[in-house]
Amino acid sequence: MTGWLGVALWGGIVGSDSTSFPQVMVSRPLVAGAVTGLIFGRPLEGAVVGFLVEVFSLTTLPIGAARYPESGTATVAAAAAYSAVAPAGLDPGYLVLALAFALAWERLGSVTVVLQRRANGRMLIRATAMAAGKLERRHLAAMTLDFLRGAALCLLGGLSGALLIGLVGPLWGLDSGPTAALLAVLAAAMVGTSLPLFSGPVKNWLPVLAGAAAGILVAMALLP
Amino acid sequence: MTMDRSVWWAVLARSLAVQGSWNYETLTGTGFGFAILPALRRLYPDPAALDAAVGRHETPFNSHPYLAPLALGAVIRLELDGEPPEVINRFKAALRGSLGTLGDQLVWAGWRPLCVLAALALMVAGAPWYVAVLAFLVVYNIGHLALMMWGLSVGFSEGRYVAERLRGSVVRHTHGRLMKAAAFVASLTFALVAVAGVPGLAAPTSTMATVALVGAVAGAGWGERARRVGFAAVAVLVLIGVLAGTMV
Repeated sequence: MTGWLGVALWGGIVGSDSTSFPQVMVSRPLVAGAVTGLIFGRPLEGAVVGFLVEVFSLTTLPIGAARYPESGTATVAAAAAYSAVAPAGLDPGYLVLALAFALAWERLGSVTVVLQRRANGRMLIRATAMAAGKLERRHLAAMTLDFLRGAALCLLGGLSGALLIGLVGPLWGLDSGPTAALLAVLAAAMVGTSLPLFSGPVKNWLPVLAGAAAGILVAMALLP
Repeated sequence: MTMDRSVWWAVLARSLAVQGSWNYETLTGTGFGFAILPALRRLYPDPAALDAAVGRHETPFNSHPYLAPLALGAVIRLELDGEPPEVINRFKAALRGSLGTLGDQLVWAGWRPLCVLAALALMVAGAPWYVAVLAFLVVYNIGHLALMMWGLSVGFSEGRYVAERLRGSVVRHTHGRLMKAAAFVASLTFALVAVAGVPGLAAPTSTMATVALVGAVAGAGWGERARRVGFAAVAVLVLIGVLAGTMV
């Protein structure tokens, strides 16, 4: 029970951080997932769920009025669901399910962001030419609404995710090794999609090649 | 003329919430009004004059949130210099496009993914989860807060000439170097993930690592399209995993 209250509180903070306040990036999936895991006493598991959602979110840019998936609150929900129902340790099958759930839930999150922005507009239009005090109250009310939106989204998502993953997880039939390898392929490919953001792999071919070579060398040195 | 330190800090703190009431009508306009209020209260002690000034700053505005302090500082300077409201409105309108584009390129498509990728690389390389998370938060926010503080100071000191100062600034010229660094870290991270696998899980076999490297190169080539393929691949993987379990 305390864990789910923590999820709601943390979800409110993550939901607010995405746009409203203070954008210090606790809403990044890696951070949001690790802290959610910590709430359930499973920080590594939460961080790995965050890691997987993060690689899918690298190219999502919150530019202007664009509608974009809200990965932070989705990660909180998925990491909470994973922490609540997955067996002890890191289970690749359950991780795939948590990732799939997060990728679906972030779409719902983006819908709630649009609704919130419309509600803000209505609230502010009704109060055209506000006095100083009124402006402050309306602005703070909009921020409170965003906090509540994040809290509700994470709590609802965490509970429904736990229910779904709890039902489907025991049916997982692929072995851990192949599932982990497929996750690595997916994660590497998704990290690769971020390269076009940085002027593309052709223009910056030298740092791209140097980075890839350094990555392979470091990874080989780390492997037993 | 200088800005009172308490007002400077209050505007800076409030600018962290400049997007708090983001909406499709005024965008961050009301957030701008909220953030500039401490300065307006100092400039216009008379309540009627204050409300009139607040009304002028509730109009539509948008910029990258980390560069909003630059606009806030410049507008406070114009208010302090007694510029007419029409001039201030024209100035805000002229500034919003360039601050949005610059911030998006510099922060959303540069600094942020660079820091995130470095944190992911740390995790794959075996750093404890909390080291990766804390390193990300500390390094990222040093850049974030430094940019905001710089923006407020430069905006206030340059006033209407802030755009010229921006064109010749370090911030503008950092972009190229940032792109190179981010390209290096991105390719380092995809190679690390391909060979060592997802943190905490078994490393892929050499065949699968090769497949992962090919996947990463394909991802780099296809960009956003590869992302959609990735979403579909997760759905297919779920289907196969569950079917495999139910058929046993």
